[in-house]
Amino acid sequence: MRTVLTGCWYQLLVLRRSPADLMALFVAPVNTAVFLAIVRHADRPDLVGHAVLAPGLMALWAIALITCGELIDAERFGGTLEALVAVPARMLPLLTGRVVVVTTASLFAFAESWLVAVLFGLRVPIPHPAIFVISMLGTALAMACWAGVMASVFVLARSARIFQNALGFPFFVLGGVLVPVAMLPDWVRPLTNVVFLSWSSDLLRDALKTAPVQDFAGRLTALLGLAAVGAGLGAYLLSAVLKRVRSLGTLTYA
Amino acid sequence: MHWIRVFAASTVNAAADFAATYTWRTWTFAWLSRIIAQVLFFTLIGTLLGSPDKQRFLLIGATVMAIVAEVLFTCASSTWERRAGTLPLLVASPGDLLAVFAGRSIQWVPSSVATSSVCLLVVGPFFGVHWTWGTALALVPVLVVTAVTTYCFALVAGAFVLNAMDIRNIVANVLGALMTAFCGAVVPVSYWPGWVGQVVTLLPTTHGLRAVRALADGGNPVGGCVAALLTGVLWLVVARLVLHRLAEHGRRDGTIEFGDS
Repeated sequence: MRTVLTGCWYQLLVLRRSPADLMALFVAPVNTAVFLAIVRHADRPDLVGHAVLAPGLMALWAIALITCGELIDAERFGGTLEALVAVPARMLPLLTGRVVVVTTASLFAFAESWLVAVLFGLRVPIPHPAIFVISMLGTALAMACWAGVMASVFVLARSARIFQNALGFPFFVLGGVLVPVAMLPDWVRPLTNVVFLSWSSDLLRDALKTAPVQDFAGRLTALLGLAAVGAGLGAYLLSAVLKRVRSLGTLTYA
Repeated sequence: MHWIRVFAASTVNAAADFAATYTWRTWTFAWLSRIIAQVLFFTLIGTLLGSPDKQRFLLIGATVMAIVAEVLFTCASSTWERRAGTLPLLVASPGDLLAVFAGRSIQWVPSSVATSSVCLLVVGPFFGVHWTWGTALALVPVLVVTAVTTYCFALVAGAFVLNAMDIRNIVANVLGALMTAFCGAVVPVSYWPGWVGQVVTLLPTTHGLRAVRALADGGNPVGGCVAALLTGVLWLVVARLVLHRLAEHGRRDGTIEFGDS
């Protein structure tokens, strides 16, 4: 636990010095304006909830992809990975603490979107607040778990930036962050079912509707199940990646 | 002639950078797929709205904004030059800084023309954007004009972030999102207050997008292209002034080499 807290504290210090790590928080308000303009111009007030939620989900994913994805590689680039591996503290709890801070900070994007909606003169009521909060926490947890996977995978990539640039919009489509996955062709559904964002976005949108939320427990279980898969895969990959760079002698760049 | 030689040498640098970043496989399967996904993301909003017209409008707008997103990588690639430590040598040499920086990030122009051509010509017909042989052939030069003139604007942004390298990606992404909002990509420019419409008239992208829409509707894109070219030249002049100011200030206060702030 102490190592987790150390990771949290360290990441807070890093974020203070590098605002670009939270770049998506600068973009989210403008994206909200974009989506709100589209639904208002089309005279579809029923879709305001979609327009307000989407920029938050996009920011959550983008920050995990860019910032968490580079956590290990940045240590390697800075020449500190060797020391981190050599110290008695384990890497996984340290990384967990750092990912938790980044994920928590990215949740501010949802507040920003809400504020932009207010500036547009719109109210976005939450008829099912408990379901909304639980779904949001589940989403943040799942994101943190999958961010660990990204951090490990990107160490092995020749040019991680290519994948960081490439993995945004495909997942915004498959995760149904704005357009529900139910509107995608049937053949895509097996793919969308394993993208945790699709469960998150549907649950969060349903929490904004007055109609009762169908099968909340089942859908939340699916979301948490995918979070657990991400956590397991992240822990396995981290151990495999560290073993690989140790045995190949590539803990630091030459 | 000297300007062209410097520009040409800098484009070689840009090509080498591009080749170091992408293989044809990663460009096709990672980058092009990403751009197609970006265009589909916006086009599907038209599906959500239940309007084929909006679907078509959003596909064209999102495609042109994909050009903007890629060309704005100029912010990042301009700073790579400074990060490489070559700025003091460039300022000391007799060559024009604009020629260097205009060549340095040119790789994003052909790449964005290629991705946008695929989106409009291959993805477009699935969503009601149809082309004849004639309009398809005319589309490529219109996209070239849009990309080149947007690049002139991006050079100004790139010149500014040379003095604030830590925020290069923030500037690029926020500018891209603002242009998506206001240049007529997702809603007509007339949706916004009048003064917004006047401001975006200064941006080449607004006119390039108008030209692409005109062509897709079977109209004449020349007016939009001419306006894009005129505003593009304007931004090129601004870029030269900003770079000149950067060099002069740097000489005076000694921040050229270490000015990473």
